[in-house]
Amino acid sequence: MKKFKKYFGLMSGVALSLSLAACGPQDDAKEGGDTKEADKPKELLVWEDVMKGEGIKDAIAKFEKEHDVKVTMVEKQYTKQIEDLRLDGPAGTGPDVLTMPSDQIGTAVTEGLIKELDVDKDTQEIYTEAAMNAQKVNGKVYGLPKAVETTMLYYNKDLISEDQLPETLDEWYEYSKGVADGKKFGFLALFDQIYYANSVLSGYGGYIFGQDDEGNYDPKDIGINNEGAIEGAKYIQKFYKEGLFPAGIVGEQGISVIESLFTEGKATAIISGPWNVEPFTKAGVNWGVQKLPALSNGKNMSAFVGVKSYNVSSYSKNAELAEEFVEFIANEENSKKRYEITKEVPAVAALANDPVVTESEVAKAVAEQSKFSVLMPNIPQMNEVWAPADSALQTIATGKAEPKAALDQAVETIEGQIEAKHSGK
Amino acid sequence: MAHRTIAPLLSIIPGLGQFYNKQWVKGLVFLILAAAFFIAFGDLLNMGFWGLFTLGTEVPRDNSIFLLAEGIIALIVTAFGLGIYYWNLKDAYKNGKLRDENFPVTSLKSEYQNLIAQGYPYLVSGPSLFLLIFAVIFPILFSFALAFTNYDLYHSPPANLADWVGLETFAEIFTVDIWRATFFDVLAWTVIWTVVASTLQVSLGIFIAIVVNQKEVRFKRFFRTILVLPWAVPGFVTILIFAGLFNDSFGAINNDILAFFGIDPVPWMTDETWSRLALILMQGWLGFPYIFIVTTGVLQSIPDDLYEAATIDGASIFAKFKNITLPMIFIAMAPIIITQFTFNFNNFNIIYLFNGGGPAVAGSTAGGTDILVSWIYKLTMQSSQYSLAAALTILLSIFVVGIALWQFRRTNSFKEGA
Repeated sequence: MKKFKKYFGLMSGVALSLSLAACGPQDDAKEGGDTKEADKPKELLVWEDVMKGEGIKDAIAKFEKEHDVKVTMVEKQYTKQIEDLRLDGPAGTGPDVLTMPSDQIGTAVTEGLIKELDVDKDTQEIYTEAAMNAQKVNGKVYGLPKAVETTMLYYNKDLISEDQLPETLDEWYEYSKGVADGKKFGFLALFDQIYYANSVLSGYGGYIFGQDDEGNYDPKDIGINNEGAIEGAKYIQKFYKEGLFPAGIVGEQGISVIESLFTEGKATAIISGPWNVEPFTKAGVNWGVQKLPALSNGKNMSAFVGVKSYNVSSYSKNAELAEEFVEFIANEENSKKRYEITKEVPAVAALANDPVVTESEVAKAVAEQSKFSVLMPNIPQMNEVWAPADSALQTIATGKAEPKAALDQAVETIEGQIEAKHSGK
Repeated sequence: MAHRTIAPLLSIIPGLGQFYNKQWVKGLVFLILAAAFFIAFGDLLNMGFWGLFTLGTEVPRDNSIFLLAEGIIALIVTAFGLGIYYWNLKDAYKNGKLRDENFPVTSLKSEYQNLIAQGYPYLVSGPSLFLLIFAVIFPILFSFALAFTNYDLYHSPPANLADWVGLETFAEIFTVDIWRATFFDVLAWTVIWTVVASTLQVSLGIFIAIVVNQKEVRFKRFFRTILVLPWAVPGFVTILIFAGLFNDSFGAINNDILAFFGIDPVPWMTDETWSRLALILMQGWLGFPYIFIVTTGVLQSIPDDLYEAATIDGASIFAKFKNITLPMIFIAMAPIIITQFTFNFNNFNIIYLFNGGGPAVAGSTAGGTDILVSWIYKLTMQSSQYSLAAALTILLSIFVVGIALWQFRRTNSFKEGA
């Protein structure tokens, strides 16, 4: 038997080397199938956000008639579409047109998942500048804006009347002092998260990434520990230190706590986004919305503006048609129609003064707040900012660290992560 | 030359050795199998091995990750093929040897009967083995392979190709400052968490089972039902409710229970040490019912005569417990107890749902209660560091597998079974 083993080892060695020599990149057969595509009737697959499909149905019907194509629409959660595209795209079952939040565009472009669009100046100009900038990476356009979102101030009309509303954050601070007793609170916000705290930090001069004249971000220039940001962080810390913000809204569970405090009428006002319009209405709160209050230095609190966009997949076989569809669906007429149905505030500049938008309290608040808003950086390095910045703010909120030390530490971590994960590529 | 040499040599082309041994049908089967193998899998093997070695050469035509997957499937298929090839050679050798020794070669019929008699267990477990290979082995090989590539955001298809980088990713874990510091912090807490939480839930379960199982205790069923309830509620529901109860400002534990005893509110969610304590207590709550049930079963199977004999010998209650009850429990339950440890080592749910791995720790990429799994999850989700996550997963598996193997080998319960 031993002898046999020896033979087998020898033979399998021969067999293996034979099989290895045989393989190589003789895979030209894969190509060439594309020539037939032209004869087929054209089809487009569109991924729309969940519950938002109704808003583009009419437009799709019109587009189908005009271009003699068949457009299929599938609803998928818009923040997750990029994940599905990674698998469905190469498998050939991916969409031609999809939608995503603009801060994912940088990542999608780096991976090569979405296609550059050839959009002329006139088309670009119908959108607000901020929204259009969110679609660009290195000056190239990768999508067209669908809707904008900012945070705003929700207040409970049963607890405070509209004309009594404090106009500055200082006034809210005073107001909260009078109300807060450990069970009830005045003004609340999730200032232990950079998404919300940036409203204050950037008002005093902090920023996340510096920008050059053309709006390109410089990941080496991090401004969340500059003087302004530290001043802002100190201001934020005051709310926690004096018990105006309870420790129970710090951390992962904070968002659900703050929302239930508001719906139970235990908080007069909170900072939140348009996504809470429906839940608050359903909870029976008599709420109103407004732009965010002003800061003590006279500037208005800013907010991250999130832009949702329509993009073309780079796996699309009908890229030209898909691009045409994106331009069509994002034009003024269709944006207006979409707003009427889905209530997502459109990014078309002309619509800001349109009665359909100005009549709605939420749309008005978003539109007003948008004037003071900063764009969420869409470069992939932004991914490294969230966790360390949130950690720093959390330790500031719980009083475990001084603002300067915590923010310096955060920047060090962010720089380290960017160096480790995004350098030399 | 002896038949035993010629037959296997001819069988380098499958079937020829069998023909030489005048086993026509079997030879034909092997020949057809071999031909079918290359016809059916030729493309796959070609693309697969090429892809496995190069991970693609051209964008956007080649998708490194798909090529890698294809390559691994090709490897598995090749392993199957080699298995059959080995069988073919061995068969040729065996029958050649029989001819050398002037025995008749085995007839097809006897071979068939042999196969059915001896190979029956393999035949029956075959389908599940096949499933196992593609549902378990394949993903393991895949993530194992990923750890040796540079697959991350900047090396993702379709814009870019990934490439083999050997042990670079592993080296990074130990050389990049922010990761090295975090890795050892997280590892330390993971070990403490595993040991303390598992020991708590196991000892609590055994203790309560023994107490409830005492002859003097009445309403045993009632107690058992009550005590199993924490297990009956889905874990994630319990964890989320606990997260609410532990809330620093609004939770019932601070506001009602501790306040009742006049204890000041405890920062359960915002202080690292208290968060860890809360997690361990919660895991005790979630984990003990299972141990309780199993121990109850074991206790009931201990024969009464052991205790009677001990009583006659004048053993004290404590001696009986120490020398009869405990050993019996441990022999029967060692595998279960070990799985409790490995389970807690990777207990992602409780960490993630309770506080997202928080509270934040200054200067660390992980939170104060993050264990290795939840840290890996954060790393991957945050910035598409797939190869890093895969490398960490390998380190983590080595740890878990090592401990589990060592434990399993030490326990008696497996030796006797084998």
